[in-house]
Amino acid sequence: MSAAAKPIKPGLVGWFGYLLESAMAVPGAYRDALVRRPRRTIALTALIVFGLLYPILNRQIFQPWNRASTFPLPFPEDAVVTFMIIFAIMAIGLNIVAGFAGLLDLGYVAFYALGAYTAAFFASPHFGSVTFILFSEAPPGFPGIHLPFWILVPLGFLVAATFGVLLGAPTLRLRGDYLAIVTLGFGEIVPVVFKNLSAVNFEFGPIRLVNANLTGGNLGINPIDAPRFFGISFGSNSGIAAVYLGLILLLGAIVVARNLERSRMGRAWMAIREDEVAAEMMGINTVRTKLLAFGLGASFAGVAGVMQASYQGITTSDFFQFSTSILVLIMIILGGIGNIWGVIVGALGLVFLDSTFLPYLGLRFTAINPDLPNPSQFNFLIFGILLVVMMRFRPEGFIPNRQRAAELRHAPPGQAIGSAAVLGEEALADEAKADEIAAEQVAEVEAEAAAAADAEAESATEGDQPR
Amino acid sequence: MEQIVQTIIIGLANGLIFALVALGYTLVYGIIELINFAHGDVFMLGSFMALVLISSVFALNANTPLLMMVAQILIVLAITMFATAAINVSIERVAYRPLRNAPKLAPLISAIGMSFVLQNIALLIFGPANDSVDSILPRVNVLSLVGIESITISAEQVFVAVVTIPLLLALTWFVSKTRQGKAMRATAQDPDTAGLMGVDVNRTIAITFLIGGALAGAAGVVQILYNNTTVWTLGFRFGLNAFTSAVLGGIGNLQGAVLGAMVLGLINAFSDRYLAANWTNAIVFAVLIGVLVFKPTGLLGQQLADRA
Repeated sequence: MSAAAKPIKPGLVGWFGYLLESAMAVPGAYRDALVRRPRRTIALTALIVFGLLYPILNRQIFQPWNRASTFPLPFPEDAVVTFMIIFAIMAIGLNIVAGFAGLLDLGYVAFYALGAYTAAFFASPHFGSVTFILFSEAPPGFPGIHLPFWILVPLGFLVAATFGVLLGAPTLRLRGDYLAIVTLGFGEIVPVVFKNLSAVNFEFGPIRLVNANLTGGNLGINPIDAPRFFGISFGSNSGIAAVYLGLILLLGAIVVARNLERSRMGRAWMAIREDEVAAEMMGINTVRTKLLAFGLGASFAGVAGVMQASYQGITTSDFFQFSTSILVLIMIILGGIGNIWGVIVGALGLVFLDSTFLPYLGLRFTAINPDLPNPSQFNFLIFGILLVVMMRFRPEGFIPNRQRAAELRHAPPGQAIGSAAVLGEEALADEAKADEIAAEQVAEVEAEAAAAADAEAESATEGDQPR
Repeated sequence: MEQIVQTIIIGLANGLIFALVALGYTLVYGIIELINFAHGDVFMLGSFMALVLISSVFALNANTPLLMMVAQILIVLAITMFATAAINVSIERVAYRPLRNAPKLAPLISAIGMSFVLQNIALLIFGPANDSVDSILPRVNVLSLVGIESITISAEQVFVAVVTIPLLLALTWFVSKTRQGKAMRATAQDPDTAGLMGVDVNRTIAITFLIGGALAGAAGVVQILYNNTTVWTLGFRFGLNAFTSAVLGGIGNLQGAVLGAMVLGLINAFSDRYLAANWTNAIVFAVLIGVLVFKPTGLLGQQLADRA
C-alpha cells in the first residue's frame, strides 16, 4: 500500500487526486504482486474473474444443467446467490465486532432489521398520507416516501451505526458473556417492537397518532421500491442485475473491512481482543475503540438490510429471528473468525447449504423413499452440531486467521478454569505455551505503540471514511 | 384489589417455576462462569418427558384416585429429574469439559450450538405444534376452604409450591451443609486452589450440572401439571426468563436467583394483565439489559462481584 502512505490533501480536489493516484497505482501494485507471489495472485485473479462471470455462467450453463441434472451437485439460483451476497456482507460486519474486536454480538439481526425497515419506511407507499419523492424514479404524485437506493444505502448504514452506538455506549463496559446476553436481548426487542407498533395511539404537542400503523405489524411492509438506476430495475425479478448490484456492495464492504483491519483502529481492536487491560495501559481509548467496532460492524448489517428489503420488496418482523443472528455467527466461526476471506467463504457456503443443498438432498431422499426425513427441516440441528464440533476441534475455522487461531487454542493464563493438580503435565505445558503467547502479545502491543506516532495522519481520516 | 392479589398469586406461581430453572443457570455460572445456554432446553426436554409419562405411560386423568395420583406424580418426578440430570451431565461432558482451557467465549458458543441441537431433537420427535394434556389436578379453589371466594388459589398453584419449595430448601441445605456442597463452594471461589486442596474439580462440576439438570426436570413436570402445555421453542423463551431472574438476583447467588425469579414472575404476570401480552418479552429483555447496565451484581449482590 505505497499510495496510502502519503497524507491526503484536504478538500474535494485532494480526495479526487487521492482516488486517482490510488487507481493509477493499482496496475503497478498488481505487477508487483504477480512477481512476488505469483501463484497466490493468479489464483486470486481467477477467483475474482470467476466471481464476476458467475451470474452469467449460472444462467447460461449451470441452471440448464440443474434442470437436466447433468451434474451431481445443484447450483444456486439467482435469488439464492443474492442472499449469499447479503449474508456475506453481514458476516464481514459481524467479523469486525466478533473477529477483530472480540465482542460477541448475539443480536446482530437487530441491525439487519433496522436497515431493512429503513428501506421499507423511506421507499414504499406505506406512509400513504405523505407524498415525498426525492431523486427517485417513482412516478410523480405517487403516495408515500420514496428515496432512491443510493441514498437508502448510506441511510441504512447511518441508522444501524447510530443504534449500534446507542446500544454499545452503556453496555460495552460489560464483560464478554454479559455483553453477549445484552445484545441478544436487543436482538429480541427490535423485531418485537416492529411487530407490535401496528396500532399506535400517541399524542405529544403537534404530533397526534390515532391507531397509526407505523410498522405494518405481522404483515410487514410491502411493496418496497426495487433499486433502480437509469430506468433499469435491480429487484428480485431482474435476476442477474441484482446479483451484480449485490457484488458491488460486497466489494465495497470488503474494501472498507480490509482497510479498517490494517488501520490504526484495526490494530487497536486486536490489541483489545487479546488483552484489554494491556491495551488500555498502552494508551488505547478502549471505550471509544470498542464503540467504533460496534457501530461500524452494525452498519454493515444495516446495508445488508437495505439490500434485503429493496431486493425482496417486502420485509416483515418474522425475517429477523434469533436463529438468523446465530446463522451469521456460524458463518464466521465456520469460515474462520477474524479472516475476511474466511467469513465470506463461510457465508457463501452456509447459505448454499441452507437454501440449495439441503432442500436438494431432501428431494433426493423423498425420491428414494417418501418416509425418509427431509434434512432441510432440521437444518438447525445440523448447524448446532457444527457449532459444537467446531468449538471442540477447530475453533479457528476452516480458513483461519493465524493470530486468532493461537488465541483460541490457548487462553491467557489465569483465565482458564481447570486445576494443575487434576490435569497434570498437560496443563503445565499449556500454561507454558500461553505464557509464550502472552509475551508475544506484549511485544506486539509495544511495537504498536511505537508505530502509533507515525500513523497519526492516517488515523485521522480512516475512522470516519468507511465508503 | 382482588384483581391485583390474583395477579400477584399467578406471578408468584410462575416465579417458583422460573426459580427452579434459574437455579440451574446460577449454579453453573457460579462454578465455571458459563452461561449454560442449553439449560432452558433441558427444561423443555423435561417437560416433554413429563408430558409423555403423564398422558401415555401412566395415563393419568382427573378421575384417578388422589393417593394413586400423588404416588404416580412422584414417580414421574423422579424419572424426569433423573433423565434431565443425565442429559445435563452428558452435555457438560461432550460440549463443555473439552473447552475448560479455551477462552471463555468458546464454551458459550458451544452451549448455543447445544441449545439448537436439543431444540431440533424435540422438533424432530414431537413436531412443531404445541402439545397439551388435560388438567389432571382437581379443580378446586383452595381458599374457599377458609371462606374466601373472590380470590382463587388453584390446586395447581398449591402443587407448584409443594414441589418447588422443598426442592429449594433441599438445595440450600446441600450447598451449605454437606461436604460436596463445600467442595462446590470452594471450586466456585477458585478452581485451581480447590484442586490443590484435594477437591476433584471435574467431579464437582459434573455434580453441579447434575443438580441443575434435576431441578430443570422438576420444573418440566411442574410446567406440564400447571400450564398443561409445552412446545419445542419453550426452552428458549423460558430459559431467557430464568436467566434474567438469575442475573436480577445476582448471578452465582442461590437466594438471589429465587428472589429474582419471584420478581420476574410478578413482572410477567402484571405485564400480561395490565399491559399487553405481546410486549411481555420485550419488557423482560428491557429489565435484563437495565439490570446488566445499571447493577450487574444484581439485587442481592454477586458472590464473585469483582469479575463483573
